[in-house]
Amino acid sequence: MNTRREFLKSGLAFGAAVSLAPWHRLAAATAPIAPATVDSARSVLVAVRDGSRSAMVDQALAALGGLGAWVKPGQTVCLKPNIGWDAPPERGANTHPELVGHLVRLCLGAGAKSVSVFDNTCDQWQLTYEHSGIEKAARDAGAHVVNGKDQSLYREVEIPGGVKLKRALVHTLFLDSDVLLNVPVLKHHSGTGMTAAMKNLMGAVWDRKFYHQNDLHQVIADFLTLRKPTLNILDAYHPMVRNGPRGKSVDDLVEMRTLLASADPVALDAAAAKLLGLDPAKVAYIKIADAMKLGTMDLSRVEIRRFSLA
Amino acid sequence: MRQPGLKFLRVTGAAVVFAGLTAALVDFRGAVPPLVGQGLASVQFIPSAIALATGAGVALACLVILVVTLAVGRIYCSVLCPLGIFQDIVARLAGWVRRKKALLPYRPALTWVRQLFLWGGVAGMVAGGAGLTLSLLDPYSIYGRIASGLFRPAVTLGNNALVSLIRALGGESLYRVIPPWAGVAALAVPAAMLVLITGLAAWRGRLYCNTVCPVGTLLGLVSARSAWQLSLDPGVCRKCGDCLRDCKAQCIDLRSGTIDPSRCVACYNCLGACPEAGIRYRWTWRRRAAGTASPPKPAANLAAAAADPQRRAFIATAALTLTAVGAGRLLAAPVAGSNPSAKPGAKDAGPPTGSRRPNYSRAICPPGAVSVDRFLDTCTSCHLCVSACPTHVLQPAFLEYGFLGLLKPRLDYADAFCNFDCRRCAEVCPDGALGLLPLEQKQVTRIGVAELDVERCIVKTKGTDCAACSEHCPTKAVDTIPYGDNLRLPQVNQELCIGCGACEFACPSKPDKAITVAGQRRHDQAKRHLEEKARDPRRGNAFPF
Repeated sequence: MNTRREFLKSGLAFGAAVSLAPWHRLAAATAPIAPATVDSARSVLVAVRDGSRSAMVDQALAALGGLGAWVKPGQTVCLKPNIGWDAPPERGANTHPELVGHLVRLCLGAGAKSVSVFDNTCDQWQLTYEHSGIEKAARDAGAHVVNGKDQSLYREVEIPGGVKLKRALVHTLFLDSDVLLNVPVLKHHSGTGMTAAMKNLMGAVWDRKFYHQNDLHQVIADFLTLRKPTLNILDAYHPMVRNGPRGKSVDDLVEMRTLLASADPVALDAAAAKLLGLDPAKVAYIKIADAMKLGTMDLSRVEIRRFSLA
Repeated sequence: MRQPGLKFLRVTGAAVVFAGLTAALVDFRGAVPPLVGQGLASVQFIPSAIALATGAGVALACLVILVVTLAVGRIYCSVLCPLGIFQDIVARLAGWVRRKKALLPYRPALTWVRQLFLWGGVAGMVAGGAGLTLSLLDPYSIYGRIASGLFRPAVTLGNNALVSLIRALGGESLYRVIPPWAGVAALAVPAAMLVLITGLAAWRGRLYCNTVCPVGTLLGLVSARSAWQLSLDPGVCRKCGDCLRDCKAQCIDLRSGTIDPSRCVACYNCLGACPEAGIRYRWTWRRRAAGTASPPKPAANLAAAAADPQRRAFIATAALTLTAVGAGRLLAAPVAGSNPSAKPGAKDAGPPTGSRRPNYSRAICPPGAVSVDRFLDTCTSCHLCVSACPTHVLQPAFLEYGFLGLLKPRLDYADAFCNFDCRRCAEVCPDGALGLLPLEQKQVTRIGVAELDVERCIVKTKGTDCAACSEHCPTKAVDTIPYGDNLRLPQVNQELCIGCGACEFACPSKPDKAITVAGQRRHDQAKRHLEEKARDPRRGNAFPF
């Protein structure tokens, strides 16, 4: 019994559902991952060397289909650098401000609705934001620089695949932004051996002490089950090879003029470990994340696209 | 002569000083440049006198204040002293609440009480509690503690409410800040003073300044002999009493036609209040010198008679004080000997660590203090540094330094640690209690030493990696060594440790921290560990993958 009234009713309801549904969210959640996973689920890693940070990231993004493949017009972007320590850019304790500023400009150029930058710093946050140079670089490029020490901006969520970390207070920018760009710096770390992509995500969580109390390596891997970054871009221009993660002086750095990019944080960290002369299988959190199938640390199964700009 | 213009100058000057100092003391986001607080605090009488006495700086402000007081009266009390200005504001607000000005009639000076506080203060200083006495009596420091301890958290709460409002409206400027409450005990003293001062000011204007405050009393002794003094013109005064409504010091005596120069705080309210313009600054020295030549006025006679009991009280209290000081020193002598720094190994086993160290101090004082003893003697607990400290590691002490260290700033590593590249506390310190060390020297100045109880360490108790302590250590005095199955165990090299507390703050071990900092009574220098340029861990220059 198909009356005209019923037809109109259901038609209107369908139309309303289509127009009101958060389709852009759906697109955001799936589309950016596509380019890396499209060819037989093989992770893609781009490694660039011997250029300026901006030139290397331009090359890396070009090799990944351009930033437009990852950031769609109208999307909100959360850019998460490492802003851990009250140290100037030349000390290499934080992601370099040049890279952050350049990426913010690229995102806005790709049509992003907004770009927000934050970190849950180790040193006092205002000093750290200021002296790292990131606050100014990001602001000048048009980003919102957001307080990472304001608990009201964090929300408690369940960590779906967490072994040790079951629930956590996580920054709302990390949870709610359409695109998540993880932009760490490569450093030695006295607790975990090294820090790059996966360890950097710890700065999106309120309670850092929980990590240290409950098997640091396992918790680092657990957190990745909440949300994988859209893209990871590693600043390895002058990695800190000892006395990390804070470092004492510029003497702790070695100039490598390298940048890595991948949607697979485990593959990226495995490659980063090798830059520091470490065996990825000996870095416990990389091994755990690989076992949890959060990415692959076996670089022989990763498609590596190498570039030298020299 | 447009003498009513003096009030405008007084109010303008006071507004600038009060606003600047208050901004520095309630600054919860590091927005006020250190120079503002330091500049306005270092022209305060007591801090400047301490800086001059200890040679911490060319602090001439106290001498200038004395000279100015000798010339024109207690301008310090009206223009520079934040506690005095605060009382004026309270009295003004109380007047608004009452909807009419209170008529405060003339009251004779409470000379005995004034002298008691002044000489009691001197006695307390000489008897060995210089720092505590000064900190309890210095009016600038009293206001500093009220503003830092009570106003600052209140302003922070206001800021947070504003942030919520802005966010509700869709904006995102400003940010929320955790209100910086000090411990209850350390807040009780400023809270009690706030109640006392507010009450007295609302009730009887500058009663506190003219009975309790020893700086007011000292400057009053000088201003009683000042060259220019405000005085009534007996020829035109109709004794209408209009000036009394505006005098907050209750020092205008219409019956004798005199103004008590020791209690007049040079606010100049009376100048404009007199319908006959009969109150003016007049030169008094020549008249006094040539007093016998001119026909003696009845008013002058009365003033001379009134001065006599004051002088008697002065001499009596001075004599009493000196006796008390002598007795006090005798009593204090054995106390000084039982000072923990001089304790020779009471019951000792093994190498001295923690509280058994000969140089141990339970409370940790900031770099630049040189030693706890010097710090306790020279710091007036104005808490400007507590407000300025970006990490809030500086907190007012309760009894951590002992009773004589009540309210002095100490480093509390429970929720924060001393930033390696920061010297903000010494930058704002107005009296040299904290000397401003060159940054390279501050970074090797040892205020305490980290001690690791490895049996409590997470790496041992849980068998998992941690190294939060080593991660935070700026000198790498705390480093890690290989341990067990691919783990890293912290270890401390005390020679490199400066006691900044980063490790203690970061240590996640519960209920007791595995690594803690033992304070040092006398600061000394840590070694600086210099390393060669790091080598490239890769083989060759190509990608190692």
